[in-house]
Amino acid sequence: MKSFLNIFSSVRLAIVLLIIITLASILGTLIPQHRSPAEYADRYGDIANVFIRLEITKLYQSWWFISLLFLFAVNIVICTLTRLSPKLKKAFQPKIAGEKKSLLSLKIKASFKKNQNLEKTRGDVQHVFSIKRYRLKEKHNENTTYLLARKKSLGLFGSDIVHLGLLIIICGGIISGMAGFRTSLNINEGQTIDIPQADFKLRLDKFVTEYHPNGSVRDWKSTLTVLENSTDILSRTIEVNHPLSYKGFMFYQSGYGWNWENPTLEIWAKKKKNPDFLEKMELGIGEKVKLSGEDLEVAVLNFVPDFIIGENNEIATRSLEPNNPAAFIEGWQGREKVFSGWIFAKFPDFNRMHSNVETDLSFELKDLKAAQYSGIQLSRDPGVNFIWAGCTFLMIGLLVAFFWPPREIKMILEESQNKTDVVAGGLATKSREDFQSEFDKIMESIRRSK
Amino acid sequence: MNESTLFLIAFILYFIAAFFYFAFLFSKKENLAKSGYTFAFAGLIVHSAALILRTIESGHAPFTNMYESLSFLSWSAIFAYVLIEGKFKIKKAGPYFMLIVIGLMALASSPLMPKEATPLVPALQSYWLWLHVSITLLGEAFFAVGLITSIMYLVADSKEKKGVAEKSSLTAERLDSISYRTIAIGFPLFTLGGLVFGMVWAYKAWGTYWSWDPKETWSLITWFVFALYLHTRIVMGWKGRRSALIAIFGFLAALFTYFGVNYLLAGLHSYA
Repeated sequence: MKSFLNIFSSVRLAIVLLIIITLASILGTLIPQHRSPAEYADRYGDIANVFIRLEITKLYQSWWFISLLFLFAVNIVICTLTRLSPKLKKAFQPKIAGEKKSLLSLKIKASFKKNQNLEKTRGDVQHVFSIKRYRLKEKHNENTTYLLARKKSLGLFGSDIVHLGLLIIICGGIISGMAGFRTSLNINEGQTIDIPQADFKLRLDKFVTEYHPNGSVRDWKSTLTVLENSTDILSRTIEVNHPLSYKGFMFYQSGYGWNWENPTLEIWAKKKKNPDFLEKMELGIGEKVKLSGEDLEVAVLNFVPDFIIGENNEIATRSLEPNNPAAFIEGWQGREKVFSGWIFAKFPDFNRMHSNVETDLSFELKDLKAAQYSGIQLSRDPGVNFIWAGCTFLMIGLLVAFFWPPREIKMILEESQNKTDVVAGGLATKSREDFQSEFDKIMESIRRSK
Repeated sequence: MNESTLFLIAFILYFIAAFFYFAFLFSKKENLAKSGYTFAFAGLIVHSAALILRTIESGHAPFTNMYESLSFLSWSAIFAYVLIEGKFKIKKAGPYFMLIVIGLMALASSPLMPKEATPLVPALQSYWLWLHVSITLLGEAFFAVGLITSIMYLVADSKEKKGVAEKSSLTAERLDSISYRTIAIGFPLFTLGGLVFGMVWAYKAWGTYWSWDPKETWSLITWFVFALYLHTRIVMGWKGRRSALIAIFGFLAALFTYFGVNYLLAGLHSYA
């Protein structure tokens, strides 16, 4: 236990850990994180496997990086605590008495004689220090008075407040990592969805994209309604930078997209022998439309936005972008299927129909429309309040540490033959130049006062 | 009077300031340094007007692309320098510091930097843009002053050791202390603007306060380096050479966070 404390109370260890964490962080910015094994193999060749095994490819979440942070946190706690108790003692149970010799060995010091008795001199000293807003502690001993004047003693604890803040931030980070959860939702207008891990639902009432005059996107706005037990609880319009917060869940506007799972297709029917014949149909997937003047119904059975033939000759989509939209249609005469096949919006020449009956009709996929969905980022992060609390401590601590320097002046007043010997010494660890001039001024006014 | 004219006038004033500072460096006439300071200050005022005009014309904060952010960084650098010279009387740093500012201004005016104000993408439309970027860049400006005083320390220190130093009130020891006190201003600003406000904004815009994006990581690395500077100095009593070297590394990390990340590493911060 003792050796554990010895190791972790060392600032040297803290500095070594800080350097290692810094170097590791740099490494993590040089090697792209969270990519696929194939991409790493492509980029780094044989070393890629080593990277993956050492978790350099997810460095900031790796066991060794988190262990380093943990060691560092323990180090901060022990370093702070072992230095705290002497500081507390100094602040609350200070030594008032001292020796002249030790005061005179300080860099900031003064000694002079006053032609008045001890009591009068003490009064002067008290008066000057109260003007300068110092707090005084005194100790009397026969013909001698020991004085301790201090101000801004909180400044002693600046670094401790910073460290407390950092620890709260680290705790917040751990809570976020363990209990936080994030997911993205794509919601269509009018759609109601269950929120995972929550007892309420969310409905998208309206989604609009606003544009700048030059055509670039200005903002996305989603009007959301929270539902509990099928009753509307509240409605709010969210946009980028203005999320909705409800029961610890945050909903962020993060983007948009088109819902190609349920598009509306415009299909044209033509006849080879009759160029005047043109029938335009609008259908969704699963819909059937009767061709006017013909004994034929056309149905769309399937649609893919980015047509590809997979490994087992399955039809699949390469992406969710409409790069190669294709629809599978069927023609029915009463209860008999007369043809079926894929038609392609971008490659009408590849349209192929398998017909059971001779037909003059041909079909083209002319246009497609899809509803825009709103991309919403959902997150619940119980650690976040710790982060803000920690940041507050961090900033207060920094301000205290840098701009609230503690001041301490010790004095010994010794009476002999109705005169008083004054010896004073000042202690400051920070901004000594300023303190020196304040000290000189104080001594000057004590010397002059009558 | 439009923004680019004002920018050009500020640029010229900084040039004149640099000229006077260098004249002071070679002739040792105090008055020349005073003129340098006056011109730098005049440049700062004209530059402020340019930034205000830019804000009015574009309708958003004047640091949303590289030109704007370089211009604002130059402004912050002059602001920090005027403050530090006023307080610590480091006119000898003037010529070197003005070189940095002129470099930044020249980079901002180079044809590589698109100057037209473009409408903001949705993620940047927030008052946190003001708070996050301005305070971070101001903090980095103080790190730049710390860089110059640290380099001057190294030079002064080696001269003093060789016994060839000229008599001056700006001793190596004083430069060391000024570097520390400049970083003591820059560090809280950088912490507040870069890390704290950055986290708050990230939480508001992306739903997560930290995502190990390269820019975030590099600002943390910069913070670590300056934390190292403070701890080695205050707890372990490192002063002088080693301290100055860490301060220089810290500035380089800040520079990489500001510049390098944009061009060398891809991430969420792709807009600026």
